[in-house]
This record gives sequence, structure tokens and C-alpha cells, in this order.
Amino acid sequence: MSIASIIDRAKTDGRKLLTEVESKDILEEAGIPTARARLATTADEAVAAAKEVGFPVALKIVSPDITHKSDVGGVKLNLSTPDEVKAAFDEIIAAAKKAQPDATIDGVSVQKMARPGIEVIMGMSQDAQFGPVLMFGLGGILVEVLKDVSFRLVPITPRDARQMVQEIKGRPLLEGYRGQEPADVEALEKLLLRLSDFIEKHPEIAELDLNPIFAYKDGAIAVDARIILS
Amino acid sequence: MSDTVRRLERVLNPRSVAVVGDKRAMGYFWLRNMSTFKGKLYSVQIDPNEIPGILELGVSNYASLLDIPDEVDYVVCAVPRPVAPRIIADCVAKKAGGVSLFTSGFAETGETEGIRLQERIATTAREGGLVLIGPNCMGIYNRRLGVRQAMDQPSGDEGDIGFISHSGTHAINLSLLAASHGVKISKSVSAGNSAVVTPADYLEYMAQDAETKVIGMYVEGVQDGRRFFDVLRRTALLKPVVVWKGGASEGGRRAMFSHTGGLATSSTTWQALVRQCGVIATDSLDETVDVMKALLFMKPGTGRRMGLVALTGGQSVVITDAFERAGLEVPLLTDRSYDELAGFFNVIGGSFRNPLDAGGTLGFGAVPENLARMLRILDEDERIDAIAVEVSPRMMARRMPGDETAPDWLPDMLAAHKERSQKPFLAVLHPGHLEALVAQERQKYVERGIPTFAGFQQAASAFAKVVAYRRFIAGVE
Repeated sequence: MSIASIIDRAKTDGRKLLTEVESKDILEEAGIPTARARLATTADEAVAAAKEVGFPVALKIVSPDITHKSDVGGVKLNLSTPDEVKAAFDEIIAAAKKAQPDATIDGVSVQKMARPGIEVIMGMSQDAQFGPVLMFGLGGILVEVLKDVSFRLVPITPRDARQMVQEIKGRPLLEGYRGQEPADVEALEKLLLRLSDFIEKHPEIAELDLNPIFAYKDGAIAVDARIILS
Repeated sequence: MSDTVRRLERVLNPRSVAVVGDKRAMGYFWLRNMSTFKGKLYSVQIDPNEIPGILELGVSNYASLLDIPDEVDYVVCAVPRPVAPRIIADCVAKKAGGVSLFTSGFAETGETEGIRLQERIATTAREGGLVLIGPNCMGIYNRRLGVRQAMDQPSGDEGDIGFISHSGTHAINLSLLAASHGVKISKSVSAGNSAVVTPADYLEYMAQDAETKVIGMYVEGVQDGRRFFDVLRRTALLKPVVVWKGGASEGGRRAMFSHTGGLATSSTTWQALVRQCGVIATDSLDETVDVMKALLFMKPGTGRRMGLVALTGGQSVVITDAFERAGLEVPLLTDRSYDELAGFFNVIGGSFRNPLDAGGTLGFGAVPENLARMLRILDEDERIDAIAVEVSPRMMARRMPGDETAPDWLPDMLAAHKERSQKPFLAVLHPGHLEALVAQERQKYVERGIPTFAGFQQAASAFAKVVAYRRFIAGVE
């Protein structure tokens, strides 16, 4: 589906939070590589999807009302067999219903487990005065606890992208450590620029999180994504 | 040129000024501010008790702006709040260029009535094509024309700096402190509530104003953020912009759903703005003046390698610390430099690694030529981009026997070096325990166009910020 039609459909449904599947579809349209996810509404569909994308897979709850999937037990990783996938599907649905009984549940997303890379995060939110602000940081607990992030106002220049990455205190981690391959910094900078372009063209987007992005020595991929409309 | 900029051209360079509502109780503050004005000054005051005092000042008085037999370029309105709307309407009818509303009690109070009144006068001004400065502000300062915000502001000659301020006090204090350091503010605007004309507009004006070589700002908050960002970005590429930000983080709508929304604050957003636009951010009045000095009086350069001259061992350690902490380098010199230095440097009680610990070499006999030699060597050393010299108060205080005046050889020599050298040059004049003397001596450096700083840290920080700006413009890193 095109970006416009995805957004239209959400508007018709009266919701601002796009699902992971929708968010990733939009980002792919914008030229941002993601770990493509398929929506499964039954356990069998989940198994079929898993076979299609290839094991091992990750299953995640898809619901416009659930923003923090792990918190509700809505994420299961590293599922290697159809049986594991089936069981995971049921567990996820049950856990989500228990945690948020009133939530509308669209189903479960199935994506291939991404090869581990260096985790980074990119995001956007609107500043009341200055409009869209782009953020970059190292992912995982580094963002949550240390708040080691950099910001720039949209639109950014190549110099801004470069500085955003260099400003992070944990930047040396991008060079790889303990056997971890280094991150492709150029690819990250390019991603930031694409994101900036995309945000500029779509003022109907209020917030955006790409978390985590796995960075490899030859590219980067958004493993999870969330888009919120204004 | 946009309409607003064209109108500001007229208002900021007025041929005629009218003061409305000045009173004895205010000490005829505004009329006295304008006593240095080179153009035509008029007063508008209907209170019969006030008129004799006004006439005594030699200013002609009228019952209304509309009675003035002349065009009026700039109006200062100091009437009580309830009267303000009528005066603004009169300004429109008079086709005045612009009005600065000294009167307060508008939107800055946060009260309904104040907000409503401000909206009303803003609408009148906008619809009438009238430049409204403020309300709640100290208006315009034009040094050359003698239009002033305070009676002790200098006037009559030209300046280099355009200053835009949300605070009248800071605009005035900045102009006064800067003047004592040889930094001349050519124009400033105390923008007040910015109901109609905003800092972004003043920036656009300053960007194209020939009298403004450097732009300074004191900013507390920004209403038209997107526009401000665009204008600031473009302007900073044309002229250096120094921004002193005041005010803690303002409250703002916080997004709840995303990481980014949770982490972005108005403070981090402002920092992003500053970095993206290549403006120089300062935190205080002193630092703002320091940076302006460095911009105006230092030769341009993008290098970060310092050659340092201090007068004792302890000072040479501390000066090096200060510059390194500011992110600058203090490298070894070339062999050629060391060879030459070895020829005359007194290494007993001194050293010349870089920093040059020069006290022993300049000595109690004060061999001035040795300092000139050191400076020349640093100037010629290709590993050095910029030079900073400590001038101690005790050295300044040293008298020749029987001579009560401090030696002028020192500022003269430094001026000669600065003239000859292409490298940025700074002098550190720490007041120490001889504040009065140093303040007096500093004037000699001001007269000779040598930028001086009150401490190593201040010098290093100002230099580092200016170099970062120059590197940004040059596209380095």
C-alpha cells in the first residue's frame, strides 16, 4: 500500500498510532530498510508467514492500542519451529488480552530474526516552537538510562547527520567491540538524511521511533518501527 | 527586501523622533535619552502640568502626534496602558514609521486584559502597516544618530554590532560594557513582547544592514520557531551571530508515546538549533562581550594550535590547562624555533617548550626586545595558528625608577606584533589584586585594538568558540 493510502486508512479508522506493519511499509516506501513484517491473524497464518520469511522468526503483538509491546508480554523472539511459532502466537494473544482487555488486536506480526548488530535508535518528535526534531542515539539501555542522544531540527544537512553520530558519547561503540563488527557510519548518516527528507515531505506525521536499528558493517536495518500521526 | 525590513530601515535610522507621554515623575527620561539625537525631536503631552518642564528642555510640545508639522519616523510611547491603543491609532493615522511601546502590562502579565489589549494594538499596527516594537520594551538604540535607551549610552560615532534583545536591561548593559572594551554597538533593539515585529524580523534587518558586522542576541523564548530557525540559519552564513540564551526550559507539550518525545526538551532543541545554524552560544553578559571582542579584534583563522606566553612557571601551567580544556592544542614548536629560542632564552627560572615561561627572560631589567623576538618566533612557526600572551598586573605595575606612569612599551609592542602578524592574537589581563590599575591599563589595549580577556579560561573559551564558528563557515570538519 502507498504511504498516502496507509495514512488514509488510519484516519478513517480514527486512529493516530500506526501498527508496526504499517509503519514499516511506510518506511520502506521512503527508502528506509526495515525487517519486513507480515500480519498474521491466526496461528496457522503465523506459521505460513514464518515459513515464507524463514526461521528463526520474531512474533510481536499488533494492536493500535498497545504501544509498549514487551511490557505486555507481546514479544517472542528466536522461534525456530512451526510448533514454537504456534505456541508463541497463542501466548502473545493471551498475554495481550490479559494486560489490556479493551485493546483491539489486529493479530501478530511475523518477521525474520535480524542478525544481531550494534543497536542504534533514530526518532522524531515535534517541538511546539521549532517543528520536527530528529534524534539519534545508541539503542537499548544506553538511550533509556544514559540518554546519550543527539538532536537536530529537520531538515538536516550531511554535516548535521555526521555531527549527530559523532556527538554521541558512546560513539566508540560504533567502531565495534568484543568481536562485534563495526557499524557502517555512512549508512547511518544516509539513513538520517532519508528520514529527514521523509519527515519534511510528511507533516502529517507527529512522532516516529525506529528502535532498534541494527547496524552492520555494510548497512543498517530498522527492526522495529512506530509512527504516530498528528 | 521584505516590507518589514524596509520599514525597519526607516524606523532604525530616524530623521525625526516623537516622545509621547514623558513626565517629570519619570525624570523626562525619554526626552533626555533623545537629547543626543541628531535629528528633529518632538514631544506629545496633553497634561498642562508637564508641559513647562518639557519646554524647559528645549523640546517643542504638541497635543497630538497629528499636530506635529513634520513626518515622524520613530515614536516612543510612554503613556499609561489604557491610553496606548489611541496613541497607536494616532501613529497609524500620522503614517509614522514605527512606534516603540515602553508601556507595560500587556501579554507579559499573562492576564486576560493585558493579552486582549496587546492583541488589539497589534492588530491596529499590522493593519496600518506600522512597525510596533514591544510592547514592554526600551525601544531602539542608534549610536550614530544618538537615539538612546539610557542616558549613559555613548553616541555620535559609528559602531560594528547590531544587538537584538528580549530584555531592555541587557541591551543597555551590553552596550555599556561593550563600549568599555572597545566594542561599539551600532544599533540595538529591545524587542519586549514582540507582539508584531519579532527577533526573526530584526535578524533579517541586521543581516542586510551595512552598519552591522556582527549580530548579537539575548533571547528568552521564541514564538515563531520555524521562521526563526530559517532566518537564523541564513543569517549566520552571512555574519557571525552571537546568541546569549536566557531562561530555563519552558514547559511545552511533551509527546508521551515515543522515545524521542520523552527525551527532547526545549533545552536540547535549542542546542540543536545553535549547532545547526553555526551561531556562537554564550551564557553571560561578560562572555558575550568577550566573544564580540574576539570576533572584531582577532585576525581570522581556523587553526586551533596555540602558542602561549606566560610570565611564570605556575602561570604557564595554568594557561596551558585552560586552553587545552577548551579543546585547543598546545603543540611542540619546530626545531628551528627551539634553536632560535635557545639562543636568548633564560632557562633559569623559565622554559620554552610551548608554553613559553618567559618571566626569567624578560627579567627584572625588562628586556622588551626578547618579548618581540618570542612573538616573532611564534608568528613564524608553522606549527602555531594563534598566539596568546599573559600580561600580569604586576608587570603592568612595574615602574621605571622615578617614572610614575606604567610602561607603554608593552601595549605598543603587542600592537606592533598584532599589526604585522596574520595569526589571531589575544592578551590576558587578569585584574588580580590591582583591579583599578588593570582597568586603566586595559584602555591602552582597547585603543590599540588588542583583544584582552580577564582570565585564561575566558580567553580560551572565547577563542575556541570563535574558531569553531570560523571552521563551521569554512566547512572544516
